[in-house]
Amino acid sequence: MTAAATWESRIPYPALVAGLTGLALALCAVSAAVGYVPFDLGAALSDWLAGRPTLGALVLAELRLPRALLGLLVGFSLGLTGAAMQGWLRNPLAEPGLVGVSSAAALGAVIVFYSGLSAALSLALPLGGMAGAVTAAVLLNLMAARGAGTTALVIGGIAINSLAGSLTALALNLAPNPYAALEIVFWLMGSLADRGTDQLWLVLPPMLAGWALCLSGARALDALTLGEDAAHSLGFDLTGLRVRLIAGAALAVGSAVSVTGAVGFVGLVAPHLMRPLAGARPGRLLLLAGLAGACLTLAADIAVRLMPTRPELKLGVVTALIGAPFLIVLIARLRREEA
Amino acid sequence: MRPTRLGLAAALLLIAGGPAAAWEAPRAKPQRIVSLNLCADELLLRLVGPERLAAVTWLARDPRASTVAALAARVPVNHGTAEEILPLNPDLIVAGRYTTRVAVGLLTRLEAPLLELDVPQSVAGVAEQIRGLARAVGEPDRGEALVADLLSRLDALPPAAPGPRPTAVVLRPNGFVAGSGSLVDELLTRAGLENMADRLPLGSQGALPLEAIILGGADVLIVDAAPDAPPSLAGALLLHPALRAMKRQVRTLSLPSRLWTCPGPQIAEAAERLAAAREARP
Repeated sequence: MTAAATWESRIPYPALVAGLTGLALALCAVSAAVGYVPFDLGAALSDWLAGRPTLGALVLAELRLPRALLGLLVGFSLGLTGAAMQGWLRNPLAEPGLVGVSSAAALGAVIVFYSGLSAALSLALPLGGMAGAVTAAVLLNLMAARGAGTTALVIGGIAINSLAGSLTALALNLAPNPYAALEIVFWLMGSLADRGTDQLWLVLPPMLAGWALCLSGARALDALTLGEDAAHSLGFDLTGLRVRLIAGAALAVGSAVSVTGAVGFVGLVAPHLMRPLAGARPGRLLLLAGLAGACLTLAADIAVRLMPTRPELKLGVVTALIGAPFLIVLIARLRREEA
Repeated sequence: MRPTRLGLAAALLLIAGGPAAAWEAPRAKPQRIVSLNLCADELLLRLVGPERLAAVTWLARDPRASTVAALAARVPVNHGTAEEILPLNPDLIVAGRYTTRVAVGLLTRLEAPLLELDVPQSVAGVAEQIRGLARAVGEPDRGEALVADLLSRLDALPPAAPGPRPTAVVLRPNGFVAGSGSLVDELLTRAGLENMADRLPLGSQGALPLEAIILGGADVLIVDAAPDAPPSLAGALLLHPALRAMKRQVRTLSLPSRLWTCPGPQIAEAAERLAAAREARP
């Protein structure tokens, strides 16, 4: 931990936030510039700003920019909620994907999409994702209350994951579209390909609300590191904190999953990368992990388009390829610490 | 169900299923015909009366997928399983080359009277398939009439104006395009359009990113859509806001899949709508 302390003293928090924000925005710009078909980005940009309806401006405004911005938003949501859940459950393995919040959100989105509800009301899709996410978060809260051991959390996560998975299979079996099961296999891997502005505007408000709820718990999370009693005696309302974090995670992860599918491991990796820089302050970790999550997601999404594989690799496959070994290392380290 | 995507440049093959010896010479006019494939339904319902059809697929009754939904309402339906077919004691079973393979495999082992339809990749192949199936069900004259009607409608398409033909690209669910050597490609040509799928920045193979289709620069964008179809992610791509915006800049035609998914007389209507889109001013 001495290394962490040195880091913390070396890089002040505002500089860290500014640096990560700059990196995220730069990656956003790279993501908009990287694509399959080379085209004159400068001309497209000036056409778009001048309102000239050219095909280049159309590709920039309707395909490249929504994809880049959604990468930023989804990555931030996953990183932030990962940090919030780890702080709240005081468990390093808490992450929307591992504990089943993402798969429950996917279940909600699948039901809403294939029943035709989202065709009638487009807002129904993120609402379905949020409903699934909040159900999982509440279940998780019942099964593995704060401070519960890693085993209880992981078992709870497995239970929610497998329940959501089998209910998704049931929903697909009942779907009127005979290809539903086939295409959802790919969708569940997570991707940002060919997402558009309508999805962007749809998920932006609930995501911002979810971020605000999670970030509002920062000071209470810091206090929670002293133990529940100490936090309580410092005047923090822990029930309120729990409600805020569950609602925030449901809003952010539910809407993220409803447009990109389940992009795994970002919520696990981002907080762990940032923890040495945040010191022992889970409250500070929230914003850093969100920004790191955005950078990771954008970098992975740039990578899938630069790789020569066609059609492109699914974003969730790339994050899992990075995240799964990370998880194994993490578990090994936990075992060493427990021993 | 979208076999044309396979891009098989095969000429029409009418293949008798199973070992050759098992293929009993069909009676002159089979009376209990069963179809296991939507495209076979479409042709059979036009070739023979409903009293001779023991079952067609349930898809034939769906007006979103079928052009013969009204005719199919009078015929029992099956869901492509051998269990449903055998009790009907059919004297001719017509299946598709690429669909209901499990049922076809079982029926082949039972040496059932089976006829498999391939997926024609040209108008000549379509005509040959119609004639072949008409012979198999003992209605060669009705087959000839269907073919004559199809060919005369295709011949009656308005001739292309002199000069270069407008280029077109056919966008299908999931971002697939119709490549050269396909039936759709020939229909485009007959309608006076030039299929530019092979000149797209990323070629015409596989699911393409939308930006490759938009920046490809076709004069006419043809969206192979199934309006009112049950919700699908593949179909959702065709509702992308970028395509909506493109419709303001490029001539766009939405053509229902049922008009050109199956070989049959309905492809004449597809060609007529394509020719009309060629003539329309942007």
